[in-house]
Amino acid sequence: METKIKSKAFEQFTEATKTLLNPVLQNWKNQGGKIVGYFCSTVPEEIITAAGLVPIRMRATGSTSTERSDAFFSSINCSFARHCFNLALTGDFKFLDGVICVNSCDHVRRIYDNWTRFVPDTPFIEVMSLPRKTESAQVAWYRDEINLLRGKLEKHFGIKISNRTLWKAIKLHNETRRLQKKLYELRKQEKPPITGAETLAVMVAGTAMPKEQYNNMLRELLDELSRTKGSGGHRARLLIVGGILDDPAYIRVIEERGGLVVADSLCFGTRIMWVEVDESLSDPVEALAKYYVADRPSCPRFYGEHDNRAKYIIDMCREFKCDGVIAERLMFCDPWAVEHYMLGQDLKAAGIPMLKLDREYITGGVGQLRTRVQAFLETIGR
Amino acid sequence: MIVGGCDVGSATGKAVIMRNGEIISYEIIPSTTKPEVTARTVMDKAVEMAGLSSISELDYIVGTGYGRLKVPFANENISEITCHARGAQWLLPTVRTVVDIGGQDCKVMSLGENGRVLEFVMNDRCAAGTGRFFEAMARVLDCGLQGLSELALQGKHPATISSQCSVFAESEVITLVNEGVDLADIVAGLHASIASRLNSMVRKVGLVEDVVLTGGCAKNDGLAKALEDKFGMSVKKLSLDPQIAGAIGAALIAAERVSKQTMKNPA
Repeated sequence: METKIKSKAFEQFTEATKTLLNPVLQNWKNQGGKIVGYFCSTVPEEIITAAGLVPIRMRATGSTSTERSDAFFSSINCSFARHCFNLALTGDFKFLDGVICVNSCDHVRRIYDNWTRFVPDTPFIEVMSLPRKTESAQVAWYRDEINLLRGKLEKHFGIKISNRTLWKAIKLHNETRRLQKKLYELRKQEKPPITGAETLAVMVAGTAMPKEQYNNMLRELLDELSRTKGSGGHRARLLIVGGILDDPAYIRVIEERGGLVVADSLCFGTRIMWVEVDESLSDPVEALAKYYVADRPSCPRFYGEHDNRAKYIIDMCREFKCDGVIAERLMFCDPWAVEHYMLGQDLKAAGIPMLKLDREYITGGVGQLRTRVQAFLETIGR
Repeated sequence: MIVGGCDVGSATGKAVIMRNGEIISYEIIPSTTKPEVTARTVMDKAVEMAGLSSISELDYIVGTGYGRLKVPFANENISEITCHARGAQWLLPTVRTVVDIGGQDCKVMSLGENGRVLEFVMNDRCAAGTGRFFEAMARVLDCGLQGLSELALQGKHPATISSQCSVFAESEVITLVNEGVDLADIVAGLHASIASRLNSMVRKVGLVEDVVLTGGCAKNDGLAKALEDKFGMSVKKLSLDPQIAGAIGAALIAAERVSKQTMKNPA
């Protein structure tokens, strides 16, 4: 199940999923541009863009080993933390001008601890303290955190982040969100012109290159896709739910079994773009804090939001006419652990079949994945 | 109508041939390192046993098991989860829970009244509760698989085995052996530990009677007994070799496909 997308933009997006420093990013760097990596989609990219830097989401793409990093972690730390820190130790992130961590989970937080200590030549490294609840007190807390980061970026990079440039960045990122949402709209068709694996490539690329350029490339892709039709022929339409999933190959295995992924609740998916940052507020930092803590579709990192998360997924299943849900989680990912059980109960009540999958960060064990997906499709009668 | 099911598992290859809804032959062979070869060899044997001259006499063949994508003569492949459920339900129509314990994985399926899989869980990430585990323990205790099953039934005071990892369980077993613990009690303890693990898998899909075991390990009566203790209910025995349940399911699905074809294009 592969569509035949021709645009150059798509080729570049795909390339970006395969490397850490893709050609578009390399080009930015060659022109003297600076790049800051951030962990977790709860770090406000807009503040990095407003500082004149390019934000890229940290991935461990291409990692083949955790032998250098294993000693720094315990047996219950996830493979993302291990692979990512291994690449830090082997110098694969040397192209970065800064790294912003966040206590999104204890695994990622420990990357920060290790990084500050054992990768000492990192020019700029910061950690943000993300609240766990989504009420106004926590929005105020995160507003303070963003302002602190703003000050530190200004000091280190010797720049000024004015409210005006911040609003400009917010508008630019909101434009990205709108374009991505347009792409998802196309997937509501009976024969979507783009597969789930291909869509993930587009989404991952969005976190790996300058936004203006990305937006232009995405427009080119949308233009092509709005004129083409998919081949159809899938057995079922699926929605995929989970944490850090940045490898299109994983979704490709699912789609090769006949389950076309048409929607998601992923942090390389709808959770980073379904809702926009509110441009009507007076303080841009307040707007960002409200967006990242309270407004955007939440992940299990946040307390008291489970019902909203389940509703979001159920509503999206209906909107995209999904036959079932695949919920993936990295082994040892604690936020997603119990979530899967609870979500399973909610989906059962809503009459939506769900398959739970544990996985490793680097896609492997394809045979095991294939069997589960095939059995799931057979089970739901597709 | 003659149809076949070919289940290429990690440890063994199984083939079943059915004529008009009845099994006319079946074969089980150890798996080779080439799934195509395993499939071909076991199917040829079953064909011969059925008194047929070649595979081409079969109207439809369904492949299943780990090697299902590599069964060169199959018309279609279906996952072993669906096939084991189908096979078990054909052998025992009242079945609602199937525990399939194969060479390298175990799966639990909950079935609806029509034999359709409602939910399943699968463990194929560690050897605990699989044929590999029992093979390893039989090797350490030098008692053979049959001996293992018999010893388990003899154990009066099952020893506590805390590790379910086959590698670490082996170390624990060696410690117990050296402490002079009765062999039967050690083996009963091993079975209780694996039964406990399987029990928690079963609870994930819900335990509903009747319960059956399929797969090669279903032949281990010691395990069946240990599971009955955990479940608090009896585990039903299948009327035929439980190891071929998946291949039977595959053959049944093959028969269904042929019937549908015939209905569409009556001769």
